[in-house]
Amino acid sequence: MPPTVATVVYLVAGLLFILSLRGLSEQASAQKGNWLGIIGMVLAVAVSVAGLFGFERGEAEAAGATTNVLAVYGGAIALGALIGGFVAARVQMTAMPELVAVLHSFVGVAAVLVGLGTLQEAGAHIDLAHYVEVQLGVLVGAVTFTGSVVAFAKLRGTIGSRPLLLPGRHVLNLALVGGCLALAILGWGAPPDRSFSYLLGVTGLASLLGVHLVWAIGGGDMPVVVSLLNSYSGWAAAAAGFMLSNDLLIITGALVGSSGAILSAIMCRAMNRSIWNVVFGGFGAEPAKASATQAPAGKVRETNVAETAELLRTARNVIIIPGYGMAVAQAQHPIREVTDVLRKKGVNVRFAIHPVAGRLPGHMNVLLAEAGISYDLVKELDEINDDFSDTDVVVVIGANDIVNPSAVDDRASPIYGMPVLEAWKAARVVMLKRSMAAGYAGVENPLCYRENTVMLFGDAKKTVQSLLAALQV
Amino acid sequence: MDAPPRLKVGIPKETFPGERRVAATPTTAARIAKLGVDVIIESGAGEAASFLDGAYAEAGTAIVADAAALYAAADLVLKVRAPIETDHGHEVDRLKEGATLVSFVWPAQNRELLERLQAKKATVLGMDAVPRITRAQRMDALSATANLAGYRAVIEAAAHFGRPFGAQTTAAGRIKPARVLIIGAGVAGLAAIAAARALGAVVSAFDTRPTVREQIQSLGATFLQFEWKNETGEGEGGYARQMSDAYLEAEQTFIAQYAKQSDIIITTALVPGIPAPKLITSGAVVSMARGSVIVDLAAEQGGNCALTEPGSAVEKFGVKILGFTDLPSRMAPQASELYAATVVQLLELVLKDGKVTIDYDDEVQRGALIVHEGKITWPPPKLAIRAGAPAVGPTGTHKTAKEEKPVSPWPMRIGVALALPLLVILGLFGSPSLLEHMTVFLLACVVGWHVIWNVTPALHTPLMSVTNAVSGIILIGGLLLGRGRDLTVTTILGAVAVLLASINVAGGFRVTARMLKMFRH
Repeated sequence: MPPTVATVVYLVAGLLFILSLRGLSEQASAQKGNWLGIIGMVLAVAVSVAGLFGFERGEAEAAGATTNVLAVYGGAIALGALIGGFVAARVQMTAMPELVAVLHSFVGVAAVLVGLGTLQEAGAHIDLAHYVEVQLGVLVGAVTFTGSVVAFAKLRGTIGSRPLLLPGRHVLNLALVGGCLALAILGWGAPPDRSFSYLLGVTGLASLLGVHLVWAIGGGDMPVVVSLLNSYSGWAAAAAGFMLSNDLLIITGALVGSSGAILSAIMCRAMNRSIWNVVFGGFGAEPAKASATQAPAGKVRETNVAETAELLRTARNVIIIPGYGMAVAQAQHPIREVTDVLRKKGVNVRFAIHPVAGRLPGHMNVLLAEAGISYDLVKELDEINDDFSDTDVVVVIGANDIVNPSAVDDRASPIYGMPVLEAWKAARVVMLKRSMAAGYAGVENPLCYRENTVMLFGDAKKTVQSLLAALQV
Repeated sequence: MDAPPRLKVGIPKETFPGERRVAATPTTAARIAKLGVDVIIESGAGEAASFLDGAYAEAGTAIVADAAALYAAADLVLKVRAPIETDHGHEVDRLKEGATLVSFVWPAQNRELLERLQAKKATVLGMDAVPRITRAQRMDALSATANLAGYRAVIEAAAHFGRPFGAQTTAAGRIKPARVLIIGAGVAGLAAIAAARALGAVVSAFDTRPTVREQIQSLGATFLQFEWKNETGEGEGGYARQMSDAYLEAEQTFIAQYAKQSDIIITTALVPGIPAPKLITSGAVVSMARGSVIVDLAAEQGGNCALTEPGSAVEKFGVKILGFTDLPSRMAPQASELYAATVVQLLELVLKDGKVTIDYDDEVQRGALIVHEGKITWPPPKLAIRAGAPAVGPTGTHKTAKEEKPVSPWPMRIGVALALPLLVILGLFGSPSLLEHMTVFLLACVVGWHVIWNVTPALHTPLMSVTNAVSGIILIGGLLLGRGRDLTVTTILGAVAVLLASINVAGGFRVTARMLKMFRH
């Protein structure tokens, strides 16, 4: 088998990955896209495993890998596929953000390991370009790894979602990057062992950087962070491609890297903030004091399940706005049933999804899909925002900042200018909430105090279940 | 020394024949007084609008016996109609020197009036000159008046029409609904559509501005599409503009063909500053069924119908043509309340510390200002005015324009500044293979960028998990480390990388497949 075969297969795999992502951009072609990705991956792995036998180097070197290596690598692939498949089949849809975060961290670790291995193998023969590639790959990989781990812990709730704002945190970040740079320079030309230790040092500093970067970001910005880490994992893979002179890794890494970057940009646009503001801003802690001074006038009107059921029964148009609260309470299934009951009665029930609702881009869509709600009923911000004025009842379930009218009319508000779902234009708004706490942005929501708003306090799932019971009577 | 005397705001009785409105109600008079001024009113000023002197007195407003006494005392005069010649001389001549006047002024049609006001060294704020911008909606007296006029036009039409508006099935046979054609869908036109629909009529509406189509349709009327070459009738500030003669002719023909089938025509077509366009020719009137009614809301500006006689109701060729110019005045109590409310809003803007102070930088005040201390300041300098939708009754909503943060050019510039030297270094010292990889890398970035942009937001999570699986391609990196070697530190590092990456690949694809299966119609 001439070595060009592997190159051609890699090229095909690269194309398949591009088509795969392309397919994923529309509902109709999404499943096909996933399959194209799988085929590409199988091809690429198969030809690489074949490479282990040394086929591509011609007969003279056909000795190939020893059976030991083959057994270890084969076992690693099999075990990994088994674990991955098992976890993916069992994971709860509400735990998707955590899963995505932890998978990102694996790519990060793998990039670090590949970097360490490459340096170890090359020893003193390494040229400068290659050396720089290794350092970069390890840096990005380590940041991805620890950043993802912290993101995972935040999403899990293991550590609080409040941003950790150390004094002089920008200086600290710069110092860490500078430290990596210094170690890399020291390691250049040093004996292989020393050089390797310096690379380990870079790994350590970059790991600290990853922890610190993500810890400083508030819970409400998690969708951006997760997609940003997605992007990093792509760049890490691309860096590995440079190290190993492998075009498939470079192509795939660049694809993933830029797609993650775009997703982050889309999320940021949905919050009317710049990416720098999200990554370095430590948003979510400072605005609290600004809002404390201006508690909205008016009083909160509370309602009960029976009244809400009556309201829904007599409505013609209903829009449901889900937020993170719905995910936490796992309320999507009873909501599906409520939707079915109401639609059977001829009520036009639809869902309005804000781009940054939840903790993962597209989180709400996945949960509603899981509950079996047709995606035709699920509308995006731009599609539905003009319809609120013709709507009889809006039900807000566990969402806060994304329906905050301050974003439109209060210049002083920290979220001013952010596109929001204009729920207040509906005749009636019912807000399901656990308590009167402010949202992740720490901003009071004047919507709670509007005259057409009533509050329904309690756990979202239990409330929706009793609502269902009341509707079925 | 005494404190300087407080500014006196005076409300005279309207002198225009048949005018029943008044520029302040007892409620708004009290609100004006709160601005730190004294309010006086001519005895009987509000009587025709059902506001009696007693009510004003109760609200704390001083009553003065006649117009002479009022004009002698008032520093600021509030009126509805523009000042006119009366038996006691021109109203402007009765103003105190240097006084302020707030009323409808119609400066474009009343050049001579402006000169008189100038001679009096007056300051004049025209309620009709308040710019039509979102912030000034609460002081938009024209819209408030037009709204009532549109409603009243339908009521007058119904009173003069020999049939009901709504359809009915009776024992004696079926009553067909009246067919109403509204020409001009401004505030008055839209109010007329709503009122005619409420009475049960079948309504169609015509306007040269294509942008009002949605508003017409939202009120349940049919929009009559008129297209002629590339001209549209959309002018500055959401008003209609003057059209060419050929256009007008085409328009007349178009309207004539619909006039034939209509029982009622209500015309509201006005272009600011010029006589109303004659849209309904006498030929079109002849073609209408006997007993039909035309209400010409543009009568005061000459009328949209060629046969309109401003101020009166006439019957021509069996068609009743109502050219009333006092429709708002026919609902004087309500019209006064609305007008008075807009006046208060404007006063709240210009009365500071009990004095009239005009802020030239405020486009609302600058727009309304017609004469300032004897200098004619009309027309105001041109401003870019947003073509705002006219407010439709109380449900009219407005969108706050979102401020776009200007994109700083610096990140781009810094990026270019960093990238350029890097490329130069690569070109000078880089190895050919590195450059090849760089090419592949940059092209792949561009491809990724373009492939992803149009993803539907609903698929963000599946997209993310599939890219996650795909980035497990780093598995190959691990495999490459193990190529052709025995177990060493390197190959073991590679094996761990392979293990982790395979978890990623399998998990990513599997969970994506699971999610995608859930999405369904």
